[in-house]
Amino acid sequence: MRDPYEVLGVSRNASDAEVKKAYRELVRKYHPDNYHDNPLSDLAEEKMKEINEAYDTVQKQRSSASSGYSSYGQNSGEQSQGYGSGAGSSTQYNEIRMAINSGDLGRAESLLRAEQNRSAEWHFLMGSVYYKRGWFDEAAGYFQTAATMEPTNAEYAQAYNMVNRGGYPYRSTYSTPTTGGSDMCDVCTAMMCANMLCRCMR
Amino acid sequence: MFGYVKPELSELTMREFSRFRAAYCGTCHELQRSFGTASRFILNYDFVFLFMLLYEGTEPPELKMRRCPVSPLRPKCVCCRSDALTRASGLSVILAYDKLIDDVSDEKGGKRTKAKLGKTFLKGAYRKASRLYPEFDSEVKLRLGELNELESEGELSLDRSADKFALLLASASNDRVKNHMLYHLGRIIYIADAYNDLKEDLDCGRYNPVAARYGVSSLPCEKNVTEAVRLTLEASAGVLMADVELLSESYWTGIIKNTVYLGIPKMISAVLEGTYSAKPARLPRREMLKENGDTI
Repeated sequence: MRDPYEVLGVSRNASDAEVKKAYRELVRKYHPDNYHDNPLSDLAEEKMKEINEAYDTVQKQRSSASSGYSSYGQNSGEQSQGYGSGAGSSTQYNEIRMAINSGDLGRAESLLRAEQNRSAEWHFLMGSVYYKRGWFDEAAGYFQTAATMEPTNAEYAQAYNMVNRGGYPYRSTYSTPTTGGSDMCDVCTAMMCANMLCRCMR
Repeated sequence: MFGYVKPELSELTMREFSRFRAAYCGTCHELQRSFGTASRFILNYDFVFLFMLLYEGTEPPELKMRRCPVSPLRPKCVCCRSDALTRASGLSVILAYDKLIDDVSDEKGGKRTKAKLGKTFLKGAYRKASRLYPEFDSEVKLRLGELNELESEGELSLDRSADKFALLLASASNDRVKNHMLYHLGRIIYIADAYNDLKEDLDCGRYNPVAARYGVSSLPCEKNVTEAVRLTLEASAGVLMADVELLSESYWTGIIKNTVYLGIPKMISAVLEGTYSAKPARLPRREMLKENGDTI
């Protein structure tokens, strides 16, 4: 297992508050919401797990006896919603939902194409297939149809809002990461400054 | 069609700027070294980004001080000899050459002559590159062929056409994260380029995927068309932002993140406002602290 401090990106002598801050920032970065319908969501989940484990380890090391702490999503199994349980979804689409969840978009699409009855749910699922594939323009059209056909369905409305919200889901407070290696230079510069100051004083 | 993906230079740190310039000059030198002088003229920011993305590991590449025709007196710090560098330049030559072939069949008049000339010029370089990377060459040919077919049929779906170009670019890497990023980069480049070319294409009655999708027949196009294009471009840019955090740490991570978080959104806004100009790539001069081959 990697060094938990390295995973959190803080030094060993960072304060508890600093550790917590770094942890929160990472959770925000790899939050499942940012990877909704992204085929790489499993990688983000792994990352999240690693971060949670690192945080837990650090917390345990630091306060083995002190009061309780809580890390994000310890019930990590519940994180990804998937398309398993659309409210009021009919059983005829179960197979298709399963195909979408497992990432087999080709199969999901051909099953959908074979379907005669093109209900609101059909349009929603078709939109989901396209969305996962990165065809956002097509997806928007299908989500819109689904939402118009069944305006009361929260799942469809949510999907429609998602494609029409625009902007960027999560813009990390973009700052260029500090890379190691500058330490030696800093030391040298500090020495040079000190040296110059000494000379001035003489 | 290339030159859309570049970092926001003013937001790079000095160190990153030096690194970026070494990558830029390195790509140019590598093109010359592996594929001959003619291939140097295809250099643009997208190909430099490709090199940085394909690079593996946090170790710096080999750096050397080199002169070149653009800077004959003052040698510059240049990346050299890296697998990613050779691969990125080879793929760039193939992309540039196949694009020229495409232009010869699509364009008319002066542009066609220019493409024809460039094609003759680049033939030697292309032969070498396609021998090195035959699988990429055939992938590019296949996808451009499919794309041409869609265009000649007047395809109405923007996503379907963009998908071909995106797949073509994605085949440059087998890494899952890089592959997915390249897909969305390709999608952004294709759609942004189509929007940028609207006027030209409408004037000479050529197929334009954005015009076909939204039924644009005269300019300026309606506001809701621009907004729809913005939504779809920003969705892909958002995917890039999510993906870039999953990329394993490399020597270029800082510059890649700068490009994804700042460079691409800025380019998208500029294209949609009509203020984007694909000027030939040229880096501004900036005196560097570390010019003498120090590690950067």
